[in-house]
Amino acid sequence: MSTTVTQDMSFLHLITGASVLVQLVMLILVMISLLSWWYIFRKLFVIRNEINKTDEFEDVFWRGADLNSLYQRTTNSRYVSGSMERIFAAGFNEFNKHPIGSDLDAVMESTRRAMRATYQREMDYLESHLSFLATVGSVSPYIGLLGTVWGIMNSFRSLSSVTQATIAHVAPGIAEALIATAMGLFAAIPAVVAYNRYASRTDQLATRFESFMEELSNVLQRRAAQ
Amino acid sequence: MSVSVLRNYPHSEPKSLLAGGLAILVHLIFIALLMFGLNWKDHPPEGMIVDIWTELPKPIVQEPVKTQPPPKQPKPVQEAKPKPEPPKPEPAKPEAAKAVTPPVKKPDIALKEKPEPVKKETKPDLEEQKKKEQEKLKEQERVKELEKQKELEKKKELEKQKELEKQKELEKQKEIEKQKELEKQKELQKQKEKEQAAQRQREQEAKARKEAEAQRAAQQAAARNQITSEIGKYKALILAKIRSRIVMPPDLPGNPVAEFSVTLLPGGDILDARLSRSSGHAAFDSAVERAIFLSKPLPLPPDPSLFNEFRNLNIKVHYLE
Repeated sequence: MSTTVTQDMSFLHLITGASVLVQLVMLILVMISLLSWWYIFRKLFVIRNEINKTDEFEDVFWRGADLNSLYQRTTNSRYVSGSMERIFAAGFNEFNKHPIGSDLDAVMESTRRAMRATYQREMDYLESHLSFLATVGSVSPYIGLLGTVWGIMNSFRSLSSVTQATIAHVAPGIAEALIATAMGLFAAIPAVVAYNRYASRTDQLATRFESFMEELSNVLQRRAAQ
Repeated sequence: MSVSVLRNYPHSEPKSLLAGGLAILVHLIFIALLMFGLNWKDHPPEGMIVDIWTELPKPIVQEPVKTQPPPKQPKPVQEAKPKPEPPKPEPAKPEAAKAVTPPVKKPDIALKEKPEPVKKETKPDLEEQKKKEQEKLKEQERVKELEKQKELEKKKELEKQKELEKQKELEKQKEIEKQKELEKQKELQKQKEKEQAAQRQREQEAKARKEAEAQRAAQQAAARNQITSEIGKYKALILAKIRSRIVMPPDLPGNPVAEFSVTLLPGGDILDARLSRSSGHAAFDSAVERAIFLSKPLPLPPDPSLFNEFRNLNIKVHYLE
């Protein structure tokens, strides 16, 4: 494979000329890269959508809309509702389940529990696949490095059978092998960048949800006290 | 109920297909970049091909030579072949021409010769012919005489010319001789001048030498004078120093003289002092010897080249100054 000194150094030749393990590594890296980019774009859209919906809902909520009509709107648009709407809906639903006149503390406690449960689920949804991005960012350079090391090992081993060693004997093998590293880095760099960015965004959203939960429980408590 | 409904309906993820499409697009762009990038870097391998060309140029150079010359060489060959061929025809043609033309000419001459007699024969009158012949003869004689005269004149003229030439040559020779003489004179003069100049130079050089010698002699004399004066000065100093150290024995009769030969070391130390001539008074001799050894180091000139004058000193000490 790498013993033949190929003058053609084009990209396809380098890939097809690589050893099986290097090719396997390249395949894995390509799939990882595709997946990670898919998740990058998915999370980009999801988080951007979530932020927009949260902004919208907060705007509507703090403008003093009627809680019952808000709840109705949320349950009607349940497929496209945002996380904050769901938290609101869960809390409001739990709050209304209790008959009027029951223990306020117990009502508020159960309401808060319901909201917290929804909040956990929503955060789980928002943070899904972010761990995958983190894994890609940390692991794919090593996978690429494995392919590179293997390729270089092969090219040097083929060099041992040659009496007059020239750089032309080793160069194609090393070039093949280095493609694996390039692929690994290509998969890793955007994944790391995206992970950091999305993690900070979800953290921001989490604080917004938590503060909303506290504020909503206050609102509901005042409503029960009335 | 509604809660369960909400829980059972997970989020409808927005634009997940678009995300997949975008991911594929990104990879396509990346692969395209890689392909073009590596193909773009493919040209250096063509540089490797250029290295192979460095081996090929010899055949290539030969091939162009072979390919280019064929147009060139065939032409010369064709030209060369035609050239040899034309010469063959050309020699043949001249031969033919020669072969053809002489016969033509000979007949012409024959025809010309023949017509003249024919024309002469056609004239019937013999007398006239004789007269004419006589006239012709006379004329011929006259012509011959004239020719002779002319020839004589020519000879005379030639002789005159020869004489003139001889004279000229003589004159030239004379002039040449004169010139040679002048040149010789000039050379002689030059030689004389050179000799004179050489003599002058010699005289000048001799004068200069004399002057230089005189100067040198004067310098040497001065140096000698200086040296001698310095030697004398230092000898006097040595003697004075020794005299100053002598403890004179009292009441010696007359003016006894003690002579010591002193061997000195560079620096003024005394290696040895021998009594070469006694004064006749042992007290004075021993006093002088003690004084000599007391007065070391003896004063010596600072110039070390003068030390040889002091290596073996002969010191005369008078009892009375």
